[in-house]
Amino acid sequence: MMMMISMESAVVKLPPSLRTIKLNPNRKNRILRTAPFASSASAPAPAPLSTDPQLGPGSLGHLTRPDFPILHQEVNGKRLVYLDNAATSQKPAAVVDALRNYYELYNSNVHRGIHYLSAKATDEYELARQKVSNFINASESREIVFTRNATEAINLVAYSWGLSNLKEGDEVILTIAEHHSAIVPWQFVAQKTGAVLKFVNLGEDEVPDVGKLREMISKRAKLVVVHHVSNVLASVLPIDQVVSWAHDVGAKVLVDACQSVPHMVVDVRSLDTDFLVASSHKMCGPTGIGFLYGKSELLSSMPPFLGGGEMIADVYLDHSTYAELPSKFEAGTPAIGEAIGLGTAIDYLSAIGMQKIHEYEVELANYLYDRLSSVPSVRVYGPKPSRSVTRAALCSFNVEDVHPTDIATFLDQQHGVAIRSGHHCAQPLHRYLGVNSSARASLHFYNTKEDVDDFIISLYDTINFFASFK
Amino acid sequence: MSIPTKIPISSLFHRSAAPFFNPTKIPTPPHRFLFSKTITKRISSNQPLLSSPPSSSSLQRVEELPPKLQEIVKLFQAVQEPKAKYEQLLFYGRNLNALDSKYKTTENKVQGCVSQVWVRAYFDEDKNVIFEADSDSMLTKGLAALLVQGLSGRPVEEIVRVSPDFATLLGLQQSLTPSRNNGFLNMLKLMQKKALQLYVEAERGESPSSGVSGIGDSAISDGGEGESEIGGDLREDLGGNSELGSRGRRIEEILKELRPTAIHVEDISYQHAGHSGVAGSDGETHFNVEVISEEFEGKSLVKRHRMVYSLLQDELQSGLHALSIVAKTPSEAVAQ
Repeated sequence: MMMMISMESAVVKLPPSLRTIKLNPNRKNRILRTAPFASSASAPAPAPLSTDPQLGPGSLGHLTRPDFPILHQEVNGKRLVYLDNAATSQKPAAVVDALRNYYELYNSNVHRGIHYLSAKATDEYELARQKVSNFINASESREIVFTRNATEAINLVAYSWGLSNLKEGDEVILTIAEHHSAIVPWQFVAQKTGAVLKFVNLGEDEVPDVGKLREMISKRAKLVVVHHVSNVLASVLPIDQVVSWAHDVGAKVLVDACQSVPHMVVDVRSLDTDFLVASSHKMCGPTGIGFLYGKSELLSSMPPFLGGGEMIADVYLDHSTYAELPSKFEAGTPAIGEAIGLGTAIDYLSAIGMQKIHEYEVELANYLYDRLSSVPSVRVYGPKPSRSVTRAALCSFNVEDVHPTDIATFLDQQHGVAIRSGHHCAQPLHRYLGVNSSARASLHFYNTKEDVDDFIISLYDTINFFASFK
Repeated sequence: MSIPTKIPISSLFHRSAAPFFNPTKIPTPPHRFLFSKTITKRISSNQPLLSSPPSSSSLQRVEELPPKLQEIVKLFQAVQEPKAKYEQLLFYGRNLNALDSKYKTTENKVQGCVSQVWVRAYFDEDKNVIFEADSDSMLTKGLAALLVQGLSGRPVEEIVRVSPDFATLLGLQQSLTPSRNNGFLNMLKLMQKKALQLYVEAERGESPSSGVSGIGDSAISDGGEGESEIGGDLREDLGGNSELGSRGRRIEEILKELRPTAIHVEDISYQHAGHSGVAGSDGETHFNVEVISEEFEGKSLVKRHRMVYSLLQDELQSGLHALSIVAKTPSEAVAQ
């Protein structure tokens, strides 16, 4: 029996920025518990429905939904159910307002001018940098380099660190589940330097084989490039362990945190990673901005990536000298408004608390997994959630005898449910799994249990429709 | 907010007095997200969202379509409800004959589809084109079936004249995502191209092949699929349009750099009128080019084509959309 409650009327709309979330008293107990899962230790029986207070009325999803204007619309005559968050997240009104304010009140080029507007823009821009730094617990804000997105950040490391540190025979260790942006730039570097890329396959539970990964990190390894959370498998890698294995042999580590930073606490100093990348648009910030975190001694030793204004100290006709961190890696006018928008997104997320977001999403992840894997002829990729195995709130799946494109099209057209179909920028992984493409539903903290329920009902309808034509 | 009195230290390193806004040219990194080919916001189902709104004058009239295609269009127009349209589409797809796997080759694969689609074409005894197609996606198979049923058994001239606009007439565009529509357009384009290939092959005196890979239309991308050598300089026999516009004449002039013993340039843009590549250009967009020159001696086919492309770089960047190239040495041209 499914409860469809319109939560809009029950929620008090709090001011967009600096909101404090009022929680039900009985929820506080849940937050303090250490095991982040449903208490049943057995394998996935269908999760208890509306009795779970974490997902029921007053859940984080219900509370935050009103902050996201874009979610309140109809698509093809049906309520929009947005389940494509791994591709990009939606933005709270506060972030949209921040962008608007920037352009209406103090848009000006940063770092260059003296006048009032320029000083204010610079101030806000550098404040945003500080917010990013605090958010991931970097030592200082100059360890944060703003880029266009995570992809550009990885390219920065590849072209700047990679080309000047890797030689013939050096090894770069990756997994086959990496996103294309974490693979292709290293292919360029390997071609240019003669370094060798080595890939770790999946283990039996459809997670990259951590044991094999450890073995591959030999003396020849100079860099390990791994995702924190997989955008297809929903698995989480033990980054702190990977980093210690890498450092034991003198290798560096680059962590692709695109699917982790938006959804959980990420502490670069506790992980001790050398590099970390993330994109703003996946963490409720605007598109067009992302960042590279790098330990300052590492970044200082790296040559510049892009050349131009801002990253120089003195420019002569035949040579130039370069600026200090982080400017050395930020050529040209940056996406100022967007960086400030990212800062606002971080404020918004921090006000809720990443731990809180994580716990809610784990509940929702388990609920999604349970319901989806109970649908006949559906095959979900990645590990089964359990006491020891956390899944991110996303499921890539295939339906027997129905193409993912057909699923996604019908879900959209007939039900207003937005999922993704394709290879999700992970062709090697799909090839390994033996499929051309898959469908993927991915959630964020503003999704609710009702979103999952709607999705499942619509999926049943979709599968029946195509089955009747076989 | 009060006037900030502190400016972060990092900004003080920048000493240049003159602000210079230098938009950096960033090399295109692989995109982080999986992008769809076109992005359209769908607010309600009542608004047909078209990537290029057709004016009534540019929409091909239903009466001009091949007869079976007309029937199909009318049938879909009669079905109002989107779900019923889907059912109709799937019904077509189910009745599509399976394609033998030996025909599922790269040359027969439709580009731009999220799913896999193959199209095959061959002549029947009356030189009408017969199509076969297949797809792993049921909806795409339905679309393929529409095209196969609508265009099969018709002569080449009729097929190549079909404008993709008729997709709007189907009313399916409302019910199908833009990327699927792209697949639809590309399917149609591939079918038209294959029909033309059959025609060209037949005119050259080759026996009508079963349509398996052979000639690939040299598209813009380099290193196109295997081109088979066509014997003889039979271009003249095609009776193509002998009047060239300014671009056609320029192409002829430019290619004289190859010191050809024979050169023939044919403007076939009219066959592509209506599809996206033509919009905004002066109409001279597609050409067949045949060059016979000693310069090709000892060079591979790919290399010969590259020579032609590099000479025509400026044209390619200013509206020339596609070239079909035949590049021979004089000895090859003489041999049958």
